[in-house]
Amino acid sequence: MEAIKRLFILLGSLDRRIIFLIVGLSVLIPLLKPEWVRLPIRPRPESQIVFDEINKLNEGDKVLLSFEYGPSTKPEIHPMSIAILKHLYSKNIQVYGFALWPDGNFMSTEAFSEVSDDYEKKYGVDYVNMGFKPGAEAVVKGIAADIRALYTVDLKGTFINDIPMMKDVFNIEDFDFVFSLSAGFPGSTEWVQYACDPKNIPFSTGCTSIQVTDILPYVENGQIKGILAGMPGAAEYESLVDAELRKMDIAVKPGKASSMMAAQSIAHVVIVLFIIFGNITYFITRKKNGKDKI
Amino acid sequence: MLLKRHVPMLIVIGVGLLTLFGHFINNESIQAFVDKDALQWFDIIASFAIFLGALNMLKLQLMKIIKKQKNWQYSILAVIGFAFAIFSGFFYRGANFITLSDIKDGKLTIVSEIIAEELNESNSFAIQTALEMSQNKFEIDKIFMTVESAKRFMKKLSPFVETIDLQSKPWGAHVQTKGSLFYWMFINIITPLGATMFALLAFFVASASYRAFRIRNFEATLLLVAGIILMLGRVPIGGLIPWWAVSILIMFGIGAIAAPFIIERTILFGIVGGGIIIIIITGTFMGWNQNPPDLLSVPIIQDWIFAYPTMAGSRALMIGIALGIVATSFRIIIGLDKSFLGDK
Repeated sequence: MEAIKRLFILLGSLDRRIIFLIVGLSVLIPLLKPEWVRLPIRPRPESQIVFDEINKLNEGDKVLLSFEYGPSTKPEIHPMSIAILKHLYSKNIQVYGFALWPDGNFMSTEAFSEVSDDYEKKYGVDYVNMGFKPGAEAVVKGIAADIRALYTVDLKGTFINDIPMMKDVFNIEDFDFVFSLSAGFPGSTEWVQYACDPKNIPFSTGCTSIQVTDILPYVENGQIKGILAGMPGAAEYESLVDAELRKMDIAVKPGKASSMMAAQSIAHVVIVLFIIFGNITYFITRKKNGKDKI
Repeated sequence: MLLKRHVPMLIVIGVGLLTLFGHFINNESIQAFVDKDALQWFDIIASFAIFLGALNMLKLQLMKIIKKQKNWQYSILAVIGFAFAIFSGFFYRGANFITLSDIKDGKLTIVSEIIAEELNESNSFAIQTALEMSQNKFEIDKIFMTVESAKRFMKKLSPFVETIDLQSKPWGAHVQTKGSLFYWMFINIITPLGATMFALLAFFVASASYRAFRIRNFEATLLLVAGIILMLGRVPIGGLIPWWAVSILIMFGIGAIAAPFIIERTILFGIVGGGIIIIIITGTFMGWNQNPPDLLSVPIIQDWIFAYPTMAGSRALMIGIALGIVATSFRIIIGLDKSFLGDK
């Protein structure tokens, strides 16, 4: 019994460098060898709703895709961008990229260039990238009221009126669906409050895990149609889109989120184990020392 | 006094009232002001604010260097980074591209091979087809950061092509052009730095949870139990945890919640251990190996936590914030709150 106690006390007082090493390995090994840890990905109802809403759209419909994330949140959100674009392109839906964050310009450029060629989509005909404008919620309200008052050119410097797919697009009401890839402010909340809810445009979002609690009330109210919550949400959506593409006989390139889920799962388990060990040690030493010595 | 206090206050009150009433008055010019003009004003002011923020940042960092305040060395890096971003955004496009027309007879294959080599493509056939299809000018799909590198490549092509032009992407668009200096800076410097900063969180969260997440009292214990369930329930591995492991975890959770109230450890261990044995025996006889109850599924418990306690908390926060915004806005509009003028 004493030996076990000593072991737990030792486990509960590990040097932080050892903790960092263990966490690092628990992330690295599954990333380098994903085949060692195969985990089943079961879509949650919120992810399924997002998929069903987008799947309901028809060929030629217009979707506004807003990029509100940057390099720090790229691993969580970018796989969603790729999966959404694959889904939209496979259904021949027109995609209009906007960005409420300056970094969003780079993320959208990367996402479009990663997927568009595979689906033989032409810039200005099948997709357009309008880019970033400063002003946060005012930009959202501006897009809701009059896009041309805000944007005169697209990201490449082409005049809006010279872009074929912008011909009939004047404000948010000309879109059939809005999707926000959001990592904070301005993001999903602003799209709901200033554009999609007042104008009654179907809206959905993919966001970081940390944002989910802020956005869930809108999802429960039906103001947001489902939610892709963090990397698990991205992996779930990837699996749904891959299944759909296979049904359509389209070649499937595996998404990044699914392969990263093993690393995230193992890292979570390791952190939980650390918490449990830390508490067992605390519990053992609490009475022994009369106060918290850890 | 009049210009510094009364005029700004009058502007704020006037614009505030107009914007507020714009939502209730069905007048075309007021609606147009709220929906269009006010937004354009905001857009212009926001653009100026970016300049102001950048200048302020530069001033602060320079002052830190001049006065040699604590960690002033880092400010040098900040100023260099700032200057490099300004240089690559406003003064150096670094987004040159080459267009070809009138390829000499019989030289199509060699031209496509040279281009394929430059683009690091093994198959030059696709390029040859694209060259044949191009009716006017053919744009080589590569951005040259410097004019010299572009000219070096043009020299390779010049014996086989009649007209080669060197052009640059327009100002503004060059920032988003793959291969330009600004794009290179974003992808190779800002992206890895941002990702690194965020990735460090995993290590700090692990270390902090290990040291600070303690069952000191009832509230801390609730937080800990909910945290563990959410961490496991959000990832696929949560769905693989068998019912008996979940029941052990639940019993540990109950023990953790009861721990602050039961000082005698033997009784506490008895309750937790006895509970675990009872649940496992019950489960084995009830056939939970085949059909485990929802209560013992981590993802389902996690969903319940999200759907009820978390949702209730989020809604309460949201309503509280909204009421706070209404009250503060009202105070500003009627001139009671003058914090925007620098008053405390």
